[in-house]
Amino acid sequence: MSNTSKTPLLRVEGLKKYYPVRGGVFAAKVGDVRAVDDVSFTVAPGETLGLVGESGCGKSTLGRTIMRLEEPTAGHVYFEGNDIATANKSALFQLRREIQAVFQDPYSSLNPRMTIGEIVREPLVVHKVGSKAEQIEAVRALLETVGLTGEMLDRYPHEFSGGQRQRIGVARALALGPKLVIADEPVSALDVSVRSQILNLMVRLQRERNLAYIFISHDLSVVEHISDSIAIMYLGRIVEIGPAAEVFAKPAHPYTRVLMAAIPVADPDQRRTTEPLKGEPPSPVAPPPGCPFHPRCAYAIDACRAAVPPLEPVKAGAPNLELGREHLAACIRKHEI
Amino acid sequence: MAWIKLDPITRRRFARFRKIKRGYYALLILLAAMVLSIFAPFLAESRALMVSYQGKWYFPTFSYVSMAAFQQTPPPGWQAVDLETDYFRLQREWRLERTLYERARAQTGSDAAALDAKYPNRGNYVVMPVIPWDPYQSDFWYNEILNDVGVLLKADDRIGAANLARRDHLDELADAIESGAIDDMLKDPTRSASGTLSGLAQGGTMPSLKDLTKTAPNPPDSHRAHYLGTDTQGRDVASRLLYGFRISIFFSLFLVIAGQVIGTFIGSLQGYFGGVFDIISQRAIEIIVSIPFLYVVIILAALIVPNFWMLLTIMALFQWIGITFYMRTEMYREKTKEYCLAAKSYGASHMRIIFRHLLPNCLTPLVTFTPFLVVGAIFSLTALDYLGYGLPAPTPSWGEMIDQALDAQNRTKLWLTFAPFTAITVTLLVVTFIGESVREAFDPKQYAKYE
Repeated sequence: MSNTSKTPLLRVEGLKKYYPVRGGVFAAKVGDVRAVDDVSFTVAPGETLGLVGESGCGKSTLGRTIMRLEEPTAGHVYFEGNDIATANKSALFQLRREIQAVFQDPYSSLNPRMTIGEIVREPLVVHKVGSKAEQIEAVRALLETVGLTGEMLDRYPHEFSGGQRQRIGVARALALGPKLVIADEPVSALDVSVRSQILNLMVRLQRERNLAYIFISHDLSVVEHISDSIAIMYLGRIVEIGPAAEVFAKPAHPYTRVLMAAIPVADPDQRRTTEPLKGEPPSPVAPPPGCPFHPRCAYAIDACRAAVPPLEPVKAGAPNLELGREHLAACIRKHEI
Repeated sequence: MAWIKLDPITRRRFARFRKIKRGYYALLILLAAMVLSIFAPFLAESRALMVSYQGKWYFPTFSYVSMAAFQQTPPPGWQAVDLETDYFRLQREWRLERTLYERARAQTGSDAAALDAKYPNRGNYVVMPVIPWDPYQSDFWYNEILNDVGVLLKADDRIGAANLARRDHLDELADAIESGAIDDMLKDPTRSASGTLSGLAQGGTMPSLKDLTKTAPNPPDSHRAHYLGTDTQGRDVASRLLYGFRISIFFSLFLVIAGQVIGTFIGSLQGYFGGVFDIISQRAIEIIVSIPFLYVVIILAALIVPNFWMLLTIMALFQWIGITFYMRTEMYREKTKEYCLAAKSYGASHMRIIFRHLLPNCLTPLVTFTPFLVVGAIFSLTALDYLGYGLPAPTPSWGEMIDQALDAQNRTKLWLTFAPFTAITVTLLVVTFIGESVREAFDPKQYAKYE
């Protein structure tokens, strides 16, 4: 659980990713899609940050921009003090060993023309780790770590179930011995029965290898079980962030409350106390002025339309500069509602 | 196919291809024909496969052996010149010697020792290829044989003249020379107007000489082993057809392979990198496409005489474009898949991602278009040769053969038309069958259902 004495493994500062929108004569730039807009947070070694939001809120883009699979428009991503966002090619290549990813779709994330052995070995080949025999031995060990057997090396992805494929995806992510794994909705494509197996596997690996996770999901109930901290994203911005227990116990942002209320409860007699969210999220090309959530917010007042509310401590007291250690929310009425 | 590691998708497609009999057998036929054409010097060549001379074996297919080596008599008038052995003639000379020897042995009271000395070559053999002609060699026998026999007659070498006639199966003439009847025939103006052997042939009273009055092209003739006749320059059609096939099919394969490699490379880069590079290179390709290919080749052929590799290079410059469009779109589709993102996330280089990860998933258009491009390449080489802008004469070429066949003088010489047209039709049909079956085997709809 959270431990303030740890120095952060990853510190994201003011990260932005805008996609230009072109139109009109000669494809002139007419605007931006603000997929990620001024996002800051930290992740401590061995901890899990749950990143939650609706589809299209920019959480996957955030994950990819951190890994610099997308070039950031602005901001910094410090990994153990090295800025990924501005690293040169060779420095980035070395940093890639430390941050690996598990992807959402277990079907398209494994190359159908390569054997499991080749897929898991490929990162080792690219980084020239050990001899061929050593690499194969490492792959065998990795497959056993994720609950598969070494005999499966020569089989192809289509011979495996969705859950097994996701285990292979995890094995590939662990091949280089990373310190941070960005898991982009790793269980949303899986059956409910298989989900918990993969989640348990990930938790076990985290304990064994002191991994930090950024766990991206649209499903709060999944994130709740494994996260140390939680960040809620809406329209490219983090609207609430804090230790998981606090965020779940006392959600401060109206959007977080609505999300929590949407978690199904296994009790047919319980009535909903919060109105479900109405309408669609606004277009990220033309976000509404002020708080991006105000058009759908039950508590919106005129002041909400005036300016984007900053992330501020929910509890009064000395502000802790460690983002993610303290419960922050971006709502001007967080103390009233 | 156990020794090659194939991924399951490829294996399944290959199995499907084998099930389509028409395409599978067409492929076997084409491969067999290609292998045979590689060994064309053993099938159609004026040099012998093997010569057994005085108990020793010679294999002259790839070497020059002069007539002196086998003590072959040069044709009348060529005694002073060092000539290469005429194996086709040598075979007939030794065969004749054997016949004469056996005939003499059969006579009562023959002296074995004297006969052995008289016929020293009776135990020698020549093994010729199936088609004993190379594609460049003109067969002048029709024009020369009567002249050669006439020269010997004039020198009063009657045995030599008769043997020469008998060697080439002109038995009627040989009998007339041996019996002395030839003198009366030549003196009779109703049989030979000019008093010469060619006059005798033209007179038509000796039917077996009638063929000798013709000039090339000559129809199929088993005595001279021209199984498909000869062309306007007396060259063997069957031999030219075989060597023409070899040139056509390998030229087309090299051309298509070169084009596909270049096109795949450029198309892959376009699709993978996209953006400005894609837009600019697409415009560049549009400019190249708008250059009329035939004019370029005609202009270049007017400046330089293109050889095989030069023509291949020129044509390859226009061949690679078609596939780029397909590879580009395949890459656009494939690069959005998460396995590509995964490869990027552990730092694989662009080239490694393109060629190790993405390309194996983009091969369908490449494989399905290739046979049809081969068909097109064979056809365009034939067309260029037909127009006279292809490979330089006297390269054996189907286009040049069709050109001869369609010449107004040769309208009635059906063997000239029959051979190249049949060959082209069958070849294109076979390759098209292969292409259709490959396309069917690669049809993605096949895998939409559960097996």
